[in-house]
Amino acid sequence: MIGVIGHYAILLAFIAAVLSTLFYWRISNGVNSRLEPFAKWVFFAKSWLIVIASGILVHLLFEHAFQYYYVFNYTSKDLQPKYLWASFYSGQEGSLLLWILFTALVGWGLIRWTEPMYKAPVMTFMSLTQAFLISMLLGIEIFGYTYGASPFRLLREHLPNAPIFMSNPDFIPADGSGLNDLLRSPWIIIHPPVLFLGFAMMTVPFAFALAAVWKKQFREWVRPALPWALAANVFLLTAIFLGGYWAYVTLSFGGYWAWDPVENASLVPWLVGTAGIHTMLIQRKRDTGVVSSIVFAVLAFVLIVYSTFLTRSGILGEASVHSFVDLGLYNQLLGFMLTMVALGFGMILWRLKEMPSVTKDAPILSRDFMVFASAMTLFLLGFVLIVGTSSPILGRLFVDNPTPPSIDFYNNWSLPFGVVIAIKTVIGQWVWWRRTETFDDLATRILLPLIFASVVTISAVIFFDIRNISYMVLILSATFSLFGNGQILIGLIRKNPKLIGGSISHLGFAALMIGFLGAGFDKPLLDQETTEYNQAVAAGQVMGEDGFPVMQAIEMVELRQNEPKLLGDRYMVTYIEAKITNRNRPGEQEYTLKIEDIKAGTQPFFMIPTAYPMIANANAGNVSWTVDPEVRTGFFSDIYAYVAGSSHVERERERMAGVEEIALSDSTKLKTFSLKKDQSLQVDGYDITFKEFEMVDPSTMEANTTIAVRSVLEIRALGSDSTFTINPMFSIIREDSLAITKSEPLAFGNSGHEVQFVNVNPSSGEIELIIGGANRIIEPDWVLLTIERKPLVAVVWLGTFLLMLGFSIAIYRRWNETKGYEKSDATA
Amino acid sequence: MKPRLIVGLVMLVGFTSLLMLNFSSSIDSYVNFEQAESAFGNRHVIGTWEKDLPMGFDMTSKSFYFHMKDEAGNVRKVIYNKAKPANFEDADQLVVKGKLQSGVFYSDDMLVKCPSKYNDAKVIS
Repeated sequence: MIGVIGHYAILLAFIAAVLSTLFYWRISNGVNSRLEPFAKWVFFAKSWLIVIASGILVHLLFEHAFQYYYVFNYTSKDLQPKYLWASFYSGQEGSLLLWILFTALVGWGLIRWTEPMYKAPVMTFMSLTQAFLISMLLGIEIFGYTYGASPFRLLREHLPNAPIFMSNPDFIPADGSGLNDLLRSPWIIIHPPVLFLGFAMMTVPFAFALAAVWKKQFREWVRPALPWALAANVFLLTAIFLGGYWAYVTLSFGGYWAWDPVENASLVPWLVGTAGIHTMLIQRKRDTGVVSSIVFAVLAFVLIVYSTFLTRSGILGEASVHSFVDLGLYNQLLGFMLTMVALGFGMILWRLKEMPSVTKDAPILSRDFMVFASAMTLFLLGFVLIVGTSSPILGRLFVDNPTPPSIDFYNNWSLPFGVVIAIKTVIGQWVWWRRTETFDDLATRILLPLIFASVVTISAVIFFDIRNISYMVLILSATFSLFGNGQILIGLIRKNPKLIGGSISHLGFAALMIGFLGAGFDKPLLDQETTEYNQAVAAGQVMGEDGFPVMQAIEMVELRQNEPKLLGDRYMVTYIEAKITNRNRPGEQEYTLKIEDIKAGTQPFFMIPTAYPMIANANAGNVSWTVDPEVRTGFFSDIYAYVAGSSHVERERERMAGVEEIALSDSTKLKTFSLKKDQSLQVDGYDITFKEFEMVDPSTMEANTTIAVRSVLEIRALGSDSTFTINPMFSIIREDSLAITKSEPLAFGNSGHEVQFVNVNPSSGEIELIIGGANRIIEPDWVLLTIERKPLVAVVWLGTFLLMLGFSIAIYRRWNETKGYEKSDATA
Repeated sequence: MKPRLIVGLVMLVGFTSLLMLNFSSSIDSYVNFEQAESAFGNRHVIGTWEKDLPMGFDMTSKSFYFHMKDEAGNVRKVIYNKAKPANFEDADQLVVKGKLQSGVFYSDDMLVKCPSKYNDAKVIS
């Protein structure tokens, strides 16, 4: 019932958004200024309706109203309240609603703060985008075509043909299908809202730019729009950072960035938005940048809509882990995007002739040229990335059924861009602050950072044995940027600390470049044996069972409990124990690893990666397990580890699947085990450790013996310190061209236990034993570990924080400027 | 026309051509197992997990194996040299990247469709 109110609230909000667009349009045309309070009222009414609809959705989620599709599909009764909040935006409809809600709030801010000259036209475009977004949630049918997908549709409306609703239309499921276990992470509470706040704020520069074009006030819009553009960028950047950090620390993706289309979809608007911020800074007093500021402001928002189209239309289905299925919104999304493109660029073309244009070329070492060139570089990088991301569409020009481009495409293109941007940050800053306009002058200024950078680069190349030339260039340019911007920053702090925003951001970019470099040196930590195996595989020397060379390297290590292994020639890693702790989720297991850095000789430390059954996703009897990596952060490098498998997981999986443990109650029952050197088995009250095997001279054995092996097993009664040794034999005897293996069972202890040595594998050093007379045998616990050393990840975070800080300082400064301007206006 | 504009335009055309050339060579078509058999290099195959055929972890080669049916209906064993990805069992679709050799697809990259956004109220009982 209450959902019906929500449904109508959205319907009315849509009508209000359309009306508010029309009213503000008429006011903008100066037709009827008495409409102003009414238009404002309609916009507020629309926003309140959205607040009400959101409130109702939250209410339904907390009430577990499973008759609603959205509630059923994204929640369940066991969900903690924090995740019930998060389930609001776990699906497409809810996340659109959140985006609309934030845009509505931003609209309130604009009505409150925007000066009269721009208010009506700005609000026209704000209302228009709202109308388009709200239309995606309508869920109404007109002429046989459904518009929008309502978050308030009932399960039986969603699945009208399900047998259960045929027989019982009032059926309400007892529980929902629940939030995916992978999403039950604290990061889901913060990451999406920040992203949508960024999206919402990106609408503001767009609306201002179009208002400026419409009203032919081509320059002044930048002053009020700049703080919003900066804020939108900070929120987008924060969202990108949170997403990357989430992927890194809690999902086993193996890193913070994978060039996934959905990741790119938020990075590209950020790049173009940043390009726009650069041109906005030069356009006020000069003609350069007037047109490009408007173009970038429009383009940044269009790219957000385009990204939304890519991720929500189902078009990226095969290319991305994150994208949504098509909810039937394909045409509406396409319509939204095409309208924004046509409106934005149509208006720019319409007024292009009237816009101030550059009459003469600016010298290369001038503010105008440097800033414009920097903006173009950022834009072109965004262009490269969007071409790659659009592979499902653009790829069709070249092949059928296109796959996404390889990761190398992104890496190879962004590297030179990074280098160019790093160098420009320094030169551009000198030109900007000190009016360095001759090359001689510039050369003296950048000499010191260049010397420092060269020294660091040469040392790094020698010390880390770097052979790759592009890495050398990257190190040189990134360190040059670091020292150059550091020098400029110090100068600015002395002069006027309010102005350091840009300088800190550029320093952040330099840090980012250095951090990204670290990703080229990610190193899986493997033991000696595996490393040698992988080298042999790489050389094509390992043959598989099919007679072809083995292609796949081994990327994980197996650890037995309490048996240390030296990994990566540096870390002595011991698997101490595993415990079921249920800490964050039912069935969660914690694995304690002790790690000693042999090279640094520091105190050993512990890492505790976890694994857990995905009970929320499980279909009957089929529980899938997943992992939560553990990251130990250090300034120079992180250690990243997750459990790829373990005896505990196997045991729990079998227990959940209902497999009975094989009881060895029958004393005649024999069981085979294979042991490597120094591994042990616990057989009832005894620990049996395989120490070694030795070849025995066959001539000392019985006649016709060709091979004889003696094993050395050390046996210790539990609770005792004394051990004794037994030596079961294994031999091969040749009789009339037949090879017969011979091995006698050997008794040990005084409870009728027997051990028989039945096979040996000389290449792996493993032996096989059959144990008889035992009631209970415990094999050693093992764990498969993927463990990597990841250099300079912390520097990436540092760079991101510096960018956020720099942008925030700039927002503060620009906001005060705007306010100051208005005050001086009022007093004048 | 101003010389700088001409230089800029030439650079832009050059840049775009280079980009498209590189882009076109770094993408590929999705193929089925039969097509992957005769191909060199890594290929992408889309398919679904064959639940009834053996699946497990090989401790010697430290790899996860399962059987997949591609969109043309061919079934092949897939060996993936990493741990079984999360959500594997309830994925609607898998995309594996790798090479086919003597009837076995060796993959080092797998994409599992995240079911949180894909499950369509399939379990109403």
